[in-house]
Order: sequence, then C-alpha cells, then structure tokens
Amino acid sequence: MTQLVLERVDIERGGRTLLRDVSLALGEGVVAVVGPNGVGKTSLLRAMAGALAPASGTIALDGIAVRALEPRERARRIALVDPGEPVLAALTVTDAVAAARFPHHRWWEWDATAEDGATVDEALARTELTALRERELGTLSAGERQRVWIALAIAQRASVVLLDEPTSHLDLRASVETLQLVRELAAGGALVVAVLHQLEEAAAFADRVVVLGCGGVIADGTPEAALTSDTIERAYGVAVTVEHRPDGLAFHRNAAPRAIS
Amino acid sequence: MRLTRLLVLAALVPLAMLIGVAFGGAAIAPGALVHALLHPSAGGDAATIVWQLRVPRVAIAATVGACLALAGTLLQALLRNPIVDPYLTGVASGAGASIAIAATVGVAPVLVPPLGFVSGLATAVLVAVLARRGPRLDAERLVLAGVSLSALLSSIVTLAIERLARGTASEAILSWLAGSLAGRGWNELAAAAPEAIAGALLGAATIPALNVLRLGEGRAASLGVGVVRLQWALLVASTLLTAAAVALAGLVGFVGLVVPHLARRVVGADLRSLVPASVLVGASLVVLADALARTLAAPAEIPLGVLLAFVGVPTFLVLYLRGAARAYA
Repeated sequence: MTQLVLERVDIERGGRTLLRDVSLALGEGVVAVVGPNGVGKTSLLRAMAGALAPASGTIALDGIAVRALEPRERARRIALVDPGEPVLAALTVTDAVAAARFPHHRWWEWDATAEDGATVDEALARTELTALRERELGTLSAGERQRVWIALAIAQRASVVLLDEPTSHLDLRASVETLQLVRELAAGGALVVAVLHQLEEAAAFADRVVVLGCGGVIADGTPEAALTSDTIERAYGVAVTVEHRPDGLAFHRNAAPRAIS
Repeated sequence: MRLTRLLVLAALVPLAMLIGVAFGGAAIAPGALVHALLHPSAGGDAATIVWQLRVPRVAIAATVGACLALAGTLLQALLRNPIVDPYLTGVASGAGASIAIAATVGVAPVLVPPLGFVSGLATAVLVAVLARRGPRLDAERLVLAGVSLSALLSSIVTLAIERLARGTASEAILSWLAGSLAGRGWNELAAAAPEAIAGALLGAATIPALNVLRLGEGRAASLGVGVVRLQWALLVASTLLTAAAVALAGLVGFVGLVVPHLARRVVGADLRSLVPASVLVGASLVVLADALARTLAAPAEIPLGVLLAFVGVPTFLVLYLRGAARAYA
C-alpha cells in the first residue's frame, strides 16, 4: 500500500508562513482537504506533488522524499490535477489524455505503444469520454473538461492522485459525477487527496477529512469526527450547526452569524 | 494520413529546388539545364551558372527557410503564443545594429559577419536574462523584453543609415535589412551550418516534451517534463537557428511566423509531425521566393525579405483572421 507521509511540514508562500507543523500519514481512500481561502490548501497539495518545496519538514512517498524522485519517476507515481491552468483550446481530448503516457517513456521513445493506446482508451471509457475523443478541449463544457483531467490522471497510472478543487465551476450533476469518478479511483487502490470547498461534498465522498485553518491542521479524521461545529468555526470563523442525518452530514449556517473573526 | 501528408510536403522540396535551379537572371534552355545537372564537371556557361551560382544559392535558401521555420515553430510552442516570430529573441536586431555600427565606423568587411553573429547571440542572451523569473523563463517577459530591445536596436540602425546618407556602407546595411541571398555561396553556408545543425538537433530532442507543454507548464511539470531545462534548450535552439539564418540572408521576415501556421493547417498541431512539416514548407517556400526574387525583375533582384513580406503578410492575415478562435481555454 502507498504511504504518503508528511512530517512537521511548514509551507511558505511569498515570504509568509501559511502552514506550520503539518504531520499526516496518508494511506488509502479519499482524503478531503478543506479550509478557508488562502489558508494554503493548494500549496500543501503542490508540496505533496513535489512541485513546491516545503520550507521545512519532509514529505515522503513510501519512504523516499518526493522532491528527490526523478521527475518522470515522480510522475509515474503521483498525478496532480489542476483544472485551473489554461490549455491549448485546439488540443483534442485524446491528445490531452495521451500526454499522460509521457512519464512512461524514455526520452528517445517518441511513438505511442499498444499499451499506451489501451491505457488511454480505458481512461476515456471510464470517464465516459469515448464519444468525445476527437473533440477539441475548447468546445467542451466545464464538467467534460474536468473529466478529461481525471482521465489524464487515470492514464498516468499513478498510485497517488492529488486533485485541486475538482468540483469548482461545476453544476450539481457534474460535481456528483466527478466525485463518483474520484471514489472509483480510490476503489481501484489509489490514494486520492482532493481539495474541496463544499463541506457537504467532503462529508459525502471522503473517507477522511483534514480541516486546515489558523496556520495548521485543526482536525483530521472521519467526516463525522473532523467536521464539527467547533472545528468549522475555528477554521472559517463562521458558526455552523452540523446535522447528522441518516444519509450523511448537513451543514446549516446559524441564523444570526456573528461578526466574522 | 499524417505520414502521407508529410511525404507530399517532402516531395515539394526537390521540386522547389529544381525550379530554383532552372530559373534565374540568365535563361538556360531545358536541354542545357539537364545536361549541366547530369554532368557537373562538363564545363561551359550553363554548368558554371548552375553549379557555381544556382545550386549553392538554392541550398542556402532551403537552409534559411528551414532554420527560420523551425525556430518559429519551437518558439511558438515554447511561449504558447501563435503570433511569435523567431526575431523576437533579438538575434536579428542585435546583428543588425552591430552591422550598422560597423559600417558607420568602417570596420573591415571580413569582420562584419562574425561581428553580427556574436552581437546577435549577445542580444538574445540579454533578452533571456531580462525574461528570467527565478530559474524560469517568463513567456510574457520574454515577449516584452524582445520587442522593446528590438525597437531600441532598430533605431540604432535607422540612425546609422541617416548619418551615413548615401554611401556604399549605407547600401550594405539596407541590403541586409531587406534580406537577400545575393552573392552568398558554399563558404557562407559552411560557416552557418554548425549552428544550424546544433540548433536543429537540440530542437528535435525536445519534441515529445514540447507536445506535453501544450497542456500548460504546471501540467507538463507534473507529468515529468523538466520545464526549466526545456525552456532554456528551446531558447538556445531557436536562437542558434535564427542566428544561422540571419548570417546567411539578413532579415527575411514572416517565414518564421507564417510557416508554422501553414504547416499546422496541413498536419495538425502534434509537434512530432508539425516540426518536420514546418522545416519542409519553410525550405520550399524560401527556395521558391528566392527564385521569384531573381527572375521577376531580372537582371535586377527584388530583395527576398520584401518579396516574402508582400506574399506573407496578406496570407497570414487571411489565415489568422479566418481562424480567429481563442487559442487557450
């Protein structure tokens, strides 16, 4: 089983310490990272991917520091999905997903192998993109494009998949479909870490929730344990009532919110 | 299908070269042309014109076209900007300014080409340093630095022309600015070949990573592309290629800008086919344009750069305005 272990990690951006002393041992399933804007969720995710060096502490995948992995080796093991970055609009769905096979080739191996083709086909089928495979990215809806990035992560065959706000800009249906795909990825044995904004989504789809706030980890555990009125108020400065219902958690902002601290 | 299209483009090059050898200032009868081509050491006027003048010139035109088209394709992919020209890196304007200064102060003519080459490279280094943000090259800064430095250096050229009034030196500058292959031969080609070959090999080695870069720098990095190393390799490759072309032909505009677009229409945006297609189209285009430049107003020559701009600008506008969809989503 893959083990992504963060030990006493500090994250700095622009000379400011965002997160201090983050220690987490992540093994399997879907881990949701929640917290207010600017708290350092994306930076933490990028640090897990090896794209950003932590100011101090270590981040190791199966005992090897992620920053020490050779880039292609790292890409074979960790996929980072950032839907926010602009992409060439004329690129077809297949071309975009096929790029996932780059780390599986040595630099002189230019041509796609039969295995590449099969992997890409499978990723497109699992994300229901087969019918759209020749479409250009510029013509896709936000939800369809999000599925392309998840297909890319599937075709990358990485055991750790890191998703930065996979459901932002998506409507209800597209969000649910995306999160179901995320669950399937985890069911296939991958460790999935997703930064999410909607607490309901974190509660419904994650096995484990990490709440960030006040420069560090406020809570870490099952959704029921981590998402309480207390932890949410400490993270966001907003009073919320958490309702435990048979079908999951519901969050209600209290009628007269106090001044945001 | 892409392979078929590439083969068709590859067949265009020898065809263009044959036209380039067949036409020129002096008319050669088809029979004499074939005879001269088949018997290089036969002697006679036709053989001399073909082998001493036209063949080297066609080879140079093909090299210039291939280098500029390749540099343009690489730079457009690097900056993810379809309206980038290889001269953006400052190679041409740096070379131009030093040639203008050399002509003004009266530097020995033999020293002028190496001086132009070195100052072109120096300008590119300066542009690259200005475009740095940490270890990375910033695409926006590169465009800004390239455009503003080029503007400054062109004003030096203008000043030199204005100061020199009507001397032969000022004519030399003007001919360089207009882009021309007149009077170039095997020696010039041999001098430019190492840079051209080095640039082409370095550029070719980046193609798979460049394909991934189309997804964005962040995604490319998370897919295992060494983005910083790729950026610098591409900048060095396109600078060497442009420097070779500038040393051979002066300022030949629009090849580096237009040819990648033409090639993209034919083979699509996958760089594994786009790069060879651009090289083939660039070589054929400049060989044909040079043949026209020699023939249209014979015995005078129309400057190659001027001819290409007349053809290239309208073509580019039509292509670009017709396909004016947003490039990034």
